[in-house]
Amino acid sequence: MRILYINNDGCGYADYIDVAENTTVEQFFMIKMSGKDAGDYMIRVNRQPVTRDYVLKEGDRITITPTKVEGAKIL
Amino acid sequence: MDDIKNLVKIANQVQQALLKLRNYRYLELLNQFGSASDKLHEIVAESKKLALSLSHNWFTAADYCCGSIDRLTSDITYYISRVKQFAEKPREEIPTLSALVEDLKQLEQEFGKIEFDKAATTISLITKPITLDDVYLGPFKIQLELKKLSELYKDSPYYCIALDPHPAATNEEVTHPHVSNDKLCEGEGCAAIRTALEQGRLCDFFTLVKSILNTYSPDSPYVSLYDWDGEPCYDCGYVMDRDNSYYCSFCDRTFCEECSTYCRNCEETLCRGCAGKCEICEEPLCSNCAHKCAECGIYCCESCLEDGICQNCIQESEDENEQSGNQTTGTNEKSNTNQSAANTPEIKLAS
Repeated sequence: MRILYINNDGCGYADYIDVAENTTVEQFFMIKMSGKDAGDYMIRVNRQPVTRDYVLKEGDRITITPTKVEGAKIL
Repeated sequence: MDDIKNLVKIANQVQQALLKLRNYRYLELLNQFGSASDKLHEIVAESKKLALSLSHNWFTAADYCCGSIDRLTSDITYYISRVKQFAEKPREEIPTLSALVEDLKQLEQEFGKIEFDKAATTISLITKPITLDDVYLGPFKIQLELKKLSELYKDSPYYCIALDPHPAATNEEVTHPHVSNDKLCEGEGCAAIRTALEQGRLCDFFTLVKSILNTYSPDSPYVSLYDWDGEPCYDCGYVMDRDNSYYCSFCDRTFCEECSTYCRNCEETLCRGCAGKCEICEEPLCSNCAHKCAECGIYCCESCLEDGICQNCIQESEDENEQSGNQTTGTNEKSNTNQSAANTPEIKLAS
């Protein structure tokens, strides 16, 4: 099924992707953000906070935004 | 209903700004292409000069041409990369009005009230008070200027304004380790922020900026939190950062550059209060390197003493010796004259 995936980590990514039916938010995060701690991210589905066991549906919009981003001095 | 109407008005302004941004991208592509093209013309001209130089065996001139060509190829590489950057960007779809309204609603949910200044066309949000590593920095207003959104590729279109500023002691323009003159240095978030603004995802933009404000990167701040309150000079009270402070091991205090010096003998840093000076050469000295002249008792550095005697005393001694030497010589000369006269036989001239 197709969902809109927006990842604001790194360079930023926003596009439609295919995911398996009955994929939960937790499973999706583990696949796409392997090795990262979900606690360091703000996850929204259709602009709303959801539980980790929320099952993604066709046409859902999932956004993953880091809550810890390091700034830097301009050289 | 009024809230929805307001959100629709704001969304409309955002949509107009995004249209201008998309058009600006094409203009910027033309601009960069023009710069690359100018450099190509210059390199063609240089290659003609090179050919002419070689035909006349002017090898010095040929070397000069090679240097110019080398510089121009670096310039062209830069401009070509800029052209590619703008040319390969996918054409961004402008979000619909309803999508923008949904985004603004989410923004209100996440952050609370949005401030929209119709005259200045700014969208602003206020963060909660920020404290990093026990240093209170206060709340910040993240202010996005829609009029400047089209300049995204040249300049940042938003500001981070400290509402209860607690700036660094050594630089009042720095209100946050990563904010100077109300401008945020985005660091790792730069690319994601650009993409979010290009695509009109305002909630993601504000969330990313808020994340940077709530994260401390000790590797590259304008002023580190360790130095935030600075350190006052023990003597004059001037507030300095730790990198520019000088420790005096004799009195165990910290001083600024003006109030400190160093021993010219051992190069130990010390404050002007603890520093003495050599009475001969007048250079600063620490108490460990100051030696007393055995004759007059003044304090000198090692190089101004000879066998424990200072240069002044040595000079005096030499002067005295010279004087007494002269007197002795004068007496001896007189007695020598008398003696020689006595020793000289009397010569009687013949009549």
